[in-house]
Amino acid sequence: MNNELYKKKHELWLQILFASFAIDDEAIKSKLYDFSQIEFRHMKWVAQAILQNGAEYNYDRDMILYKRKSVFEVLRPLKESILQLIALYGDTPLYERMHSDESYFVEYIDMLLADEKNDNPVEAFNMQNRLKSLDTASQMSLTMFLFEESYKEYELILVYAYMQNRTQSVMEYDVFQDLIDESHFHLKSFCNMMAKLGILALPRELHERTYKIEDLKKFIQDGIAEEEAAKEMCRELSSSIEDEELSKFFDFINNQESYHIELMKRLLDA
Amino acid sequence: MLENVEVPEGMNKEVLEHLMYPHNYGKLENPSAVGVAVDNVTGEYVIMYLELNKEQITDVRFATNGCQDTVVVGSMFTDMILTQKTSYAQKAVEKIYEKLGSSMSEKQRVCADMVFTAFMAALKNYENLQNGKTEEAHILNMKESCETKEQENE
Repeated sequence: MNNELYKKKHELWLQILFASFAIDDEAIKSKLYDFSQIEFRHMKWVAQAILQNGAEYNYDRDMILYKRKSVFEVLRPLKESILQLIALYGDTPLYERMHSDESYFVEYIDMLLADEKNDNPVEAFNMQNRLKSLDTASQMSLTMFLFEESYKEYELILVYAYMQNRTQSVMEYDVFQDLIDESHFHLKSFCNMMAKLGILALPRELHERTYKIEDLKKFIQDGIAEEEAAKEMCRELSSSIEDEELSKFFDFINNQESYHIELMKRLLDA
Repeated sequence: MLENVEVPEGMNKEVLEHLMYPHNYGKLENPSAVGVAVDNVTGEYVIMYLELNKEQITDVRFATNGCQDTVVVGSMFTDMILTQKTSYAQKAVEKIYEKLGSSMSEKQRVCADMVFTAFMAALKNYENLQNGKTEEAHILNMKESCETKEQENE
C-alpha cells in the first residue's frame, strides 16, 4: 500500500460523501453517507498499513466536484471511480475487505440505476436558495458561515486523523476519535445545508503545513480560539436568523462546540 | 461560470465564484520560488508558489489555512498576476484595494495583506536563490494579526 492508493481512497471518500450531500432522496442520501463513513475507515486502515511499512502518506488530491444536474449523473461516475479503485487491489485481508465493501456499494448503485424513478433532479449546485424562510441578510451570513465552517470541519477531520495515526497515547487517541466523529456530524450538517442553498462545494485541499503539526500545544490553543470564534458565529447566526428551526440548530451546534473545547483542554493537560 | 444564475441580493457574483472554486489553489511541483506569510497570533499562513521566466510569472499557486476572505483575495490576486511581469504585482495589489476597498473591513485588509506578503516573500526567495543562497522558502511574519484587528473592532 502506498500514498497513491491513499490519495485515491481520500478522493473516493469525498466523492461518495458529496454524492450523499448532493442527492435529496433521504434513503439514498443516508445509504451513501454510511458508505462514505466505511470509506473513511478504509482510509484510516490504509494509512496505518502505510505507516507500518515505514512509508508516509499525505492529503494531496486531484479532484473536481462537478455540477451534476441529476441523480444518475452523480451515480454513474461514482460507480466508475469505485470500479477503477477495486482494480488496483491486491490480496491481503485489508484489500479483500475493501473489495467486498465496494462491490456491495456498486451493487447498490446498480440497483438504483436500474430504476428510472430514482433519476431525480439534483439542485445542490444550482444556486437557487431553497431555504425560503431566510431574508437576504441572513442568507448572506449563513452562506459565509457555511463556506468557512465546512472547510474547517474537513480540515479538523483530517488533521485529527493524521495525529491519531501517530500518537502512542490511548487518551489522545480517544479524544482525537471523539473530535473526528463530531466534525463528521458538523460537516454533514453544514454541507446538507449548502446543498439546500444550491452552493454545495468541495472544501479546498489541505497543504501539509496545516496537518504536519510541530507544536501540538500551540495547535490546540489556536484550535480552542477557533472553536470560541465558531461559537460566537453560531450565537450571531442564531440571534439574527428569523427561521426558528435554523436558529435552534445553531444553538445546538454552539453548545456542542463548548464541549469540544473541554475535550481539547484534555489534550493540553496530557 | 456563474453568468446565468441568481445569487443572494447584495452578494458579489465574482466573490461567490472564488469562494466555490478558488482559482490557482494548491502547489507547484518544481517552483522557481516559494514564499510564506505567517500570522503568529492565529497560526494562519499563506504559502505562494511562483514559476518564473526571468521577470514573467508563468505559473502561480497558493494555499492557506486562513479564512474565506484570504481565499477570495488569493484567488483574485493570483488570477491578476498570472502571465504578468513581477513588477505588475504591485499594481494588482492596488487594483484589488480599489475593487474591494470600500467594502473591506480592517480584518479583511489584514487577510489581504497576508496574501500580498506571501507574494513578496516568494520574490525574496527568488532573489536569495539567484544570489546562491540555499533556502527552501522565504518566510515573513505578519506585523498585524487579523485576530487583533477583530478585537479592536468589537
